[in-house]
Amino acid sequence: MKTVLVIGGGVTGLKASSELAEMGYNVTLVEKEDYLGGQVAKHKYYKLAPDLRLAGEVIDPVIKAVENNSNIKVYKHSHVAAVSGNAPEFKAKIKNSKGESEENFGAIVVATGFEHFDPTVKQEYGYGRFKDVVTNAEVEEMLNPGGPTNGELKRPSDGETPKKIAIFQCVGSRDRQVGNPYCCRVGCVVSTKQAIEIKEKYPDSEVYVYYMDMRMFGRGWEELYGKAMEEYEIIFTRGRGAEVTLKNQQLSLRAEETIMDRPIQHSVDMIILAAGMAAGEGTIEAANVLGIKQNDYGFLEPKDDFVSPNESSKPGIFIAGADKGPMDIENCIVEGAAVAAKVASSLKN
Amino acid sequence: MAENTDKMVIDGVELTGIWKEFLPSRILYEDVTTEFLDEVKKLPGGSTIVRCYQCGTCSGGCTLPDFVDKFNPRRFIDLVRRGHYDILVNENKDLVWKCVSCQRCTHRCPRGVNTQEVVRAIAKFLEDRKVFGKLTNDEAFDEIFMEEVIEDGRIDEVKIVKDFYSKTGRLKEMMSSDQIALGFKMLTSGRIKLFGGKIKDWKKVSQRLKEELQ
Ligand SMILES: Cc1cc2nc3c(=O)[nH]c(=O)nc-3n(C[C@H](O)[C@H](O)[C@H](O)COP(=O)(O)OP(=O)(O)OC[C@H]3O[C@@H](n4cnc5c(N)ncnc54)[C@H](O)[C@@H]3O)c2cc1C
Ligand code: SF4
Ligand code: SF4
Ligand code: SF4
Repeated sequence: MKTVLVIGGGVTGLKASSELAEMGYNVTLVEKEDYLGGQVAKHKYYKLAPDLRLAGEVIDPVIKAVENNSNIKVYKHSHVAAVSGNAPEFKAKIKNSKGESEENFGAIVVATGFEHFDPTVKQEYGYGRFKDVVTNAEVEEMLNPGGPTNGELKRPSDGETPKKIAIFQCVGSRDRQVGNPYCCRVGCVVSTKQAIEIKEKYPDSEVYVYYMDMRMFGRGWEELYGKAMEEYEIIFTRGRGAEVTLKNQQLSLRAEETIMDRPIQHSVDMIILAAGMAAGEGTIEAANVLGIKQNDYGFLEPKDDFVSPNESSKPGIFIAGADKGPMDIENCIVEGAAVAAKVASSLKN
Repeated sequence: MAENTDKMVIDGVELTGIWKEFLPSRILYEDVTTEFLDEVKKLPGGSTIVRCYQCGTCSGGCTLPDFVDKFNPRRFIDLVRRGHYDILVNENKDLVWKCVSCQRCTHRCPRGVNTQEVVRAIAKFLEDRKVFGKLTNDEAFDEIFMEEVIEDGRIDEVKIVKDFYSKTGRLKEMMSSDQIALGFKMLTSGRIKLFGGKIKDWKKVSQRLKEELQ
C-alpha cells in the first residue's frame, strides 16, 4: 500500500488524513506549527457560525481521529523542504529541528490554508496606530474563555469593556488597492456571529456594522442575519467604512449612509475590522517546492475548477481547502473528504 | 377601467379611493438611459466610472460635505449611471464643480475608480450641455485664461483684463477713472506692458492643442 503525504494540519488536512487512513492508506501529515487545527486553533475560535456551536465540538473529534489512528504519522513543527519524482513515485525531504528524513509517497495532498489579511496597510482605518482598532481574529481570541482576556471583550487601551462597537466589513477584500479583488466569503457571517455573541454577553452594548452587501449564502446564514436584527438590535448601515480618527481620546468613524445619501460621523469605543483571507506564506512556499500553479492572488489553482477541483496543475499532487481561496469550515470538511476520495481513486490505477 | 374610475358616492360620501389624487407621486417618471454613462465614460478622466460599486468610501471621507451640503461624489456617479439627468441638473449642477481635488477619494477607492477625475468629467459633461447658465467671475476668468494660453501661448495682462471685463459685461467699469489711474500706475512702474511679445511658431502648437481638446 502506498503512503500519502498531507501538507497542512488544519481542518482540511486533518479530514483528508483521517479519511485516507480509514480507507487503509498510510498517511504522513506534516504541519509547520506545533499544534493541529490550523487557524481555528491558532486564533482560538470559540463559537462557530452559523449555529454558535463550540468550535471544539467540531475540531476536537477531527484532531482525535488523526491522533488515534495508527496509520497516520504526524510531524509537527516540520516542513517539506524538497520533492522529487513524478506520480506515483515521489520522494520528499521532511525537515524539523531534530533533523531531516526522506520518504517515498504515492501522492501528495496540499492543505496549507490561508492567513488573515493584515490591515496595517489600510492606513485610514488606523490599525496599529489606534489600540482599540482590532481585527475579527483578535476578537475570536478574546471571546474564548481560554483566551488572553478569559472570554471578556476588552479594550486593549485600558482593559475596559467597550459599550459602543463598530464593525467594518470587507477589510482587505473586494479591494483592488491591496490587490485582493475577491470576496472573503466568511467575513459577513463571522461579523454577524461576533455581534450576536457580544450582545448576548453585554446586553447594554451597541453594535454597528458598516457593510456594502451582507453576503449570507451559506446554510443558516441569512437566518442568523435576520436574528441579529430582530432579536439583538444590531444596526446594519449600508456604506463601507471610510476612515477612523481620534477625537479627544475617543475613536471616531466616518462612512456614508448610502441609503440616506449623506456621510455620518460618530464616536465608538472599539472598532473591529472584518479582515479577510489572503494566501499564506505556507501556501506560497508549498507551491514553490512542489512547482504547482497559483492564481493571481497566490491561492492554488485547480487543474479545472469545474471538472477537477481537487487536482493541482501536476499529476499526483492534490489540493483542498482554504489554500484554493476563501472557504468556510463546513466546505473545508467536504473538501478534505473529496480530496481523499480523489487520491484513493488515482492510486488504484 | 371605467368601473375603477367611476366615483361611488353614497349619502354624499365618496368611497372609491380617489383621495390618492391629492398626494404627489413619489414614483420617478423619468426615462432611464445609459446614454449619459456612455458619454461621461468617453470624456477625459471619465473612463473609470464603470468600475464604481457604490460603496460610499469616497463620499464618507470626502473633504467637502463639512462645508458644502449634499456634495456627494458617489451620488453623482449613481445619477449619471442611471440616467437621472433631471435630478443631476436640478439638484447637483451647482455642486459638482466645487470639488477641491484633494484626491482622498481616489486614494481610497477600493475599486480603482479615479473618483476626482470622474467628478470633473461629470462637471464637464454638464458644462458641455450648457446647464450652468451665466458664468461666475471665477469661471469667466478661468475660461479667458485658458483661451489665451491656447491662442497665444502666453498671458498678456492688458488683453486679459480687457477680455475679462468684456466677458462679464462690465466694460464701463473698466473705463472708470480709478481703474484707468491704476492701469497707468502699473504701466509706468513696469508691472504691465502695452504690447506683450509673441511666441514664435505658436500657431502650430495652438492648432494641435485645439485638436487635442476637442
Ligand atoms: C476571523 C475568522 C473567523 C472564522 N470563523 C468561522 C466560523 O465561525 N465558521 C466557519 O465555518 N468558518 C470560519 N472561518 C473560516 C475558517 O477559518 C476556515 O474555513 C478554515 O480555517 C480553513 O481550514 P484549512 O485547513 O483549509 O486551513 P487552515 O486553517 O489555514 O490550516 C492550514 C494549516 O496548514 C499549515 N501550513 C501552512 N503552510 C504549511 C507548510 N508549507 N507546511 C506545513 N504546514 C503548513 C498551517 O500552519 C495550518 O495549520 C473563519 C475565518 C476567519 C478569518
Ligand atoms: S464575505 Fe462579506 S465581509 Fe467578506 S469580502 Fe465578502 S462581502 Fe465583504
Ligand atoms: S469609493 Fe469608488 S467604488 Fe466606492 S462609491 Fe466612491 S467611486 Fe464608487
Ligand atoms: S477630490 Fe473632490 S470628490 Fe474627491 S474627496 Fe476631494 S473634494 Fe471630495
